Amino acid sequence: MKSHINWEKTVYPVLAPKLAGILKEALPQVLDQAMEIRLRTGRPLLVVTSSGDVFLSANGKAAAFPQAAYICSHEDLAQTMQLISKNSLYAFEEELRMGFLTVAGGHRVGLAGQAVLAGGKIVTLKNISSMNFRLAREVYSAANTVIPYVIAQNGNIYNTLIVSPPRCGKTTLLRDLARQISNGVPCLSFGGVQVGLVDERSEIAACLDGVPTADLGPRIDVLDSCPKADGLLMLIRSMAPQVLVTDELGRQADVSALNEALHAGVSVIASVHGRDMNDIIARPYVGELIREKFFDRYIILGGKPQVGTVTQIIAAQNNEVIYNREVGVAICG
Amino acid sequence: MWLKLIGCCLVIIAGTLTGFSLAARYNERPKQVRQLIGCITSLGSYINYVSLPLSEALIRSAGMIEGPVRDLFQQAGSFIDTSGWRSPQEAFAEALNMLENELAIHKPEREIMLLLGANLGAVDRKEQQKHLDLAKVELEKIHQEAIIARDQNVKMYRYLGVCGGLAIAILLV
Repeated sequence: MKSHINWEKTVYPVLAPKLAGILKEALPQVLDQAMEIRLRTGRPLLVVTSSGDVFLSANGKAAAFPQAAYICSHEDLAQTMQLISKNSLYAFEEELRMGFLTVAGGHRVGLAGQAVLAGGKIVTLKNISSMNFRLAREVYSAANTVIPYVIAQNGNIYNTLIVSPPRCGKTTLLRDLARQISNGVPCLSFGGVQVGLVDERSEIAACLDGVPTADLGPRIDVLDSCPKADGLLMLIRSMAPQVLVTDELGRQADVSALNEALHAGVSVIASVHGRDMNDIIARPYVGELIREKFFDRYIILGGKPQVGTVTQIIAAQNNEVIYNREVGVAICG
Repeated sequence: MWLKLIGCCLVIIAGTLTGFSLAARYNERPKQVRQLIGCITSLGSYINYVSLPLSEALIRSAGMIEGPVRDLFQQAGSFIDTSGWRSPQEAFAEALNMLENELAIHKPEREIMLLLGANLGAVDRKEQQKHLDLAKVELEKIHQEAIIARDQNVKMYRYLGVCGGLAIAILLV
């Protein structure tokens, strides 16, 4: 499996010069396994890797204990904030209200600080004191296990819902599914179809100036930073896709847009946060989609033994488990 | 005799040129203030409607004009682009320093631009527009004053230059 982060182009340019300098000196194995970079004012610089937390000292080496690590200053966070927002907070009003920004490369930067309220609603965040860079990796072939279950024998794409707790590879799987459906899958004699992607948080396609920086194959149209509900309908009208891909369903408007897509004869692949099906059924709006059997396939992801592990694939029609990790099958790749 | 004559001519020419160059600065100032107002209006559109990042908005807002005001906006934009950890105010200060000789604007205009720089990029679109509007109102006032100053001073400095040159030449002879 090939996974890659372009540190020089996507991460260092949005970190305060001092922090970028420290990370440049860090050991390659730390960077290769890095999942998150956590910055907190007055707290040590922390890199969360797949094999545990690593505190970095000022010379880039792993510190034996937190006290020996480099302590992030208020200035480091302020400079980083200026860099990720390109000195243009006005361009990220909506994102700030949601508490995160997405930077080039599709990395999501979560923010915490002091909320500013007006009329009981969050207007913006001030005094940002914590930042979490969630590093997005392009993992080619992440969808190899699931793709045979998503493409029907007649070449149609099943309406598929990916259920996953946070940090279990939901976005990575969606990205690779979109890429494989757009490229075609020769071993399944699937030639590829037109895919419409509504990328509300700019994470899947990692668009820069509206152009995807992630490799998504030749048949993809991306509507970047667009609210899902509006975006799905816009794409159906404007680009006539055969498959729509979007992430993190949750609001009522998303559900009615998905209903619209179904009636327009477009297949939908979407994701939702949750541990298992029982978790999802109990949820408002999304639960409704499950009860009405809107989807044909449910893919349940888990974080063990590694991120992105497909735990189960369920056929919705008769609730049959058609793939189980314990039994395990790998068909393509 | 000839040497004296040539010397006198040179003194008169030098006086005239000094007068004309001083007059040109008075002529240039209202033009540049007007260009600043135009660029700030255009910057407002790029921020409010297109939501362009500040560096790009600054560069584009001055794309249609020529001269030092364009250089000021583009220089500030590229400073923000290349060293984004510095504030827009620092970028404007640096660009103003670099173009000090080319720009005909005076201290109050510089202060308005620095104040605008201090308030750029750190607030939402609605607030941003307020700061841009304020800068425009202030600059409009300065523009009116600059026009009056120009009308009063351009001719005066030109005559003063020629007459000063002549006077020195006569005294020397």
